[in-house]
Amino acid sequence: MEVKRKNRGIFRMDPVPENTSFRTKSAKNSNVRTEIITPGVSGVFRQKSFGACDRQLSAFSSYVRAACSLNTTAGGIGNLFTRKMAVSANTSCPWPNTQDDYELRDVIGVGATAVVYGALCKPRGEKCAIKRINLEKWNTSMDELLKEIQAMSSCNHENVVTYCTSFVVNDELWLVLRLLEGGSLLDVIKHKMKISNCKHGVFDEATIATVLKEVLKGLEYFHSNGQIHRDIKAGNILLGEDGTVQIADFGVSAWLATGRDLSRQKVRHTFVGTPCWMAPEVMEQDHGYDFKADIWSFGITAIEMATGTAPYHKYPPMKVLMLTLQNDPPNLDTGADKDQYKVYGKTFRKLICDCLQKDPTKRPTATELLKHPFFKKAKDKKYLTQTLVAIGPSMETRVHKASKRQTGASGRLHRTMTGEWEWSEEEDEGANATGSDEEAADDKKPMNELQRADSSGSDNEEESPEPKANKVQNARPTETVVINLVLRLRNARRELNDIRFEFITGKDTAEGIASELVGAGLVDPQDSVPISVNLAKLLEAQRSSLQPSSKTVTFHLNSAGPNEQYDDKTLVGFAQISIID
Amino acid sequence: MPLFGKSQKSPAELVRSLKDAVTALERGDKKAEKAQEDVSKNLVLIKNMLYGTSDAEPQTDIIVAQLAQELYNTNLLLLLIQNLNRIDFEGKKDVAQVFNNVLRRQIGTRSPTVEYICTKPEILFTLMSGYEHQEIASNCGTMLRECARYEALAKIMLYSDDFYNFFRYVEVSTFDIASDAFSTFKELLTRHKMLCAEFLEANYDKVFSHYQRLLNSENYVTRRQSLKLLGELLLDRHNFSIMTRYITNPDNLKLMMNMLKEKSRNIQFEAFHVFKVFVANPNKPKPILDILLRNQDKLVDFLTKFHTDRSEDEQFNDEKAYLIKQIKELKPLEH
Repeated sequence: MEVKRKNRGIFRMDPVPENTSFRTKSAKNSNVRTEIITPGVSGVFRQKSFGACDRQLSAFSSYVRAACSLNTTAGGIGNLFTRKMAVSANTSCPWPNTQDDYELRDVIGVGATAVVYGALCKPRGEKCAIKRINLEKWNTSMDELLKEIQAMSSCNHENVVTYCTSFVVNDELWLVLRLLEGGSLLDVIKHKMKISNCKHGVFDEATIATVLKEVLKGLEYFHSNGQIHRDIKAGNILLGEDGTVQIADFGVSAWLATGRDLSRQKVRHTFVGTPCWMAPEVMEQDHGYDFKADIWSFGITAIEMATGTAPYHKYPPMKVLMLTLQNDPPNLDTGADKDQYKVYGKTFRKLICDCLQKDPTKRPTATELLKHPFFKKAKDKKYLTQTLVAIGPSMETRVHKASKRQTGASGRLHRTMTGEWEWSEEEDEGANATGSDEEAADDKKPMNELQRADSSGSDNEEESPEPKANKVQNARPTETVVINLVLRLRNARRELNDIRFEFITGKDTAEGIASELVGAGLVDPQDSVPISVNLAKLLEAQRSSLQPSSKTVTFHLNSAGPNEQYDDKTLVGFAQISIID
Repeated sequence: MPLFGKSQKSPAELVRSLKDAVTALERGDKKAEKAQEDVSKNLVLIKNMLYGTSDAEPQTDIIVAQLAQELYNTNLLLLLIQNLNRIDFEGKKDVAQVFNNVLRRQIGTRSPTVEYICTKPEILFTLMSGYEHQEIASNCGTMLRECARYEALAKIMLYSDDFYNFFRYVEVSTFDIASDAFSTFKELLTRHKMLCAEFLEANYDKVFSHYQRLLNSENYVTRRQSLKLLGELLLDRHNFSIMTRYITNPDNLKLMMNMLKEKSRNIQFEAFHVFKVFVANPNKPKPILDILLRNQDKLVDFLTKFHTDRSEDEQFNDEKAYLIKQIKELKPLEH
């Protein structure tokens, strides 16, 4: 069987007879997870829950991408008018519940169980986003889905994404949401970093204050509603063309009973969120957590708006957990050069510091934060239309992107670590691949989000598994060596297969390969991390050592069922990557 | 409370002004906007009395008891629910929060609000009919499920004619309302095991003829959810006699066999868990046995190939193997 790869080459898959003798193995470092955690940390963090978290994370995150690029066929200003008019006429006509009343336009996001479309609601003459969730593929219970939709429908606030209606079409659930056409904040950050020099900060303080104030108002509402969002970050903050700021993605939001109802737990014990933005108490899972977890994530988001990334974004998830738990709370200068961000003043730094206190009880509430002096710098919506919306990816780009996305044939649709299908953001394919590769090399994108699906798609096939590797690439951009590799593992039916592929140094990354393998359906999404880590390790050993090093690495897989008899010789619960000479 | 603010209203005053405001809202006269505002304001005050705020603790038990007593005396809970659609978005949620808090109130082992509602079952029926109205459906659902936690209230709802409206509510086109109705429906049928079993036995024909329609629904979600619930109901040991009754009806078997072959794998899987009960029954009536015998080879073949990728689900595989064995060994009754 052959599977075509993204830009070039194939994955060739061959069945392996059971009696094949295995090549040398080095099972020494067979468990990726234990290897990354340094002694002393493992006691705090429970690995098991981590696996569970992977799956939860993927559940609902793709709406955010709805915002990333929107096609408007009729063009800018005219549309603005129709929308305004529609808004005023809206109250008379409720959102319809039939498929025929909506005209689907462009695909604006793709997830494991859902596709998000830009659409027109015909009776209302109003644009909207429609998330089509395939319920056959939805493995979580329907109750979870309902909770999520109820979380959305119980919100009515200008800073929280607007739910319109939902209905069933065959085996799909159609979720109709307000469309925000400015993209996610992360999209704008990425775009700005691409087109301008952001070394000393992405946005000015006024922009940051304006956005964060809106986010806080949304959070305050959220919390007063008894809800925790649990995944506040730039990728989950959407922008309207009029400068509206909304919190989106209720994928992981949870209800928290308030008041004196002792029959229900007051704190949550689920492990969700994205590590870089995750509060220490959420990671520890010992005492549960409450609203204050969102305040931590809010603080990280503040850093993200200034530096373009979350602190520790260079590290793999487990390392992030370790750093967050062991180190003092991060700040603007974490991992930055001295004075790199000196343009940001004391009040902003104080705000971050207040939010990022390890003791959640010491963090201010959203209401208290709104009174923080930093927000005196906040301006109005209109200001954001100039500083954010105007510099975001242009309408043409979005139309272009969206129309290309719709074709869907190329390998730009790939699967993320958590099993989310996702579009890469790269603009060019095929012939122009080199160009975008170069761009990507400069692009300091977080590579360690547990979910790659956090925003409008990240170019994960171009990302390096280690910052080190990134430097190597930059240092020798012209050097390309083709390495032939084979990945041997069992498929879902327990049959042993060899998957052969090429690795081109300077072009491919271990993580990119892993996600392509997942994307091609050859590898369980849960195994993306061990595969990428071990592939990187194998290649690094090859590159750095002068003596001939081992050409094979055998390692434990995450997808292995708990009841299985692991065996690294017959590769039950293990996989093996070898370099072919 | 702010130092120079108005002194706090007593529970009686609060309840009275809320009642006046709701009544004005109900009349819908010119001052509707003002009434709306008053309703919201007073609801928040009452809510804060019960739940406290970030600055203030909830009121003492004495105050809360007075408040509850005023609510009973004035029948304000019913009035609020009857006018729920007129109250603004946040106010609707506040009504539900106040209602649920007062409902949970206990004095020793007594639940005074439950006792009160037993004397005013209209409250329950009004809440149930809330599913007819999109804009209040989920608020009513929140309150209904809180009510359903109390056996006395669940009993009133189950044995009412209005209960059969749920078969319609769970199928409405707006997904969140249908699902909300379904979770209330499920709560009513499963929460209090003895009560539910008694109810299902006493009303077997009526309930299952309605239920059949859900299983045949055009709506995928209704079909899938109702089939899953059916499996849970039949396999609950409290419902043993209901199960034995269900599996003697050949029409039920035929339906499950058809559902085994549905396009949806989830539905197939749920159908399997009902189908297995027919096969596992040691005393199969002749019509059931006949159907199984007539399809013996086909069934063995079908089950052998059924969901073979669920290799990790041990229980499922054991059950499947058992069914295959049982069907293979089936013999016609000797007479």
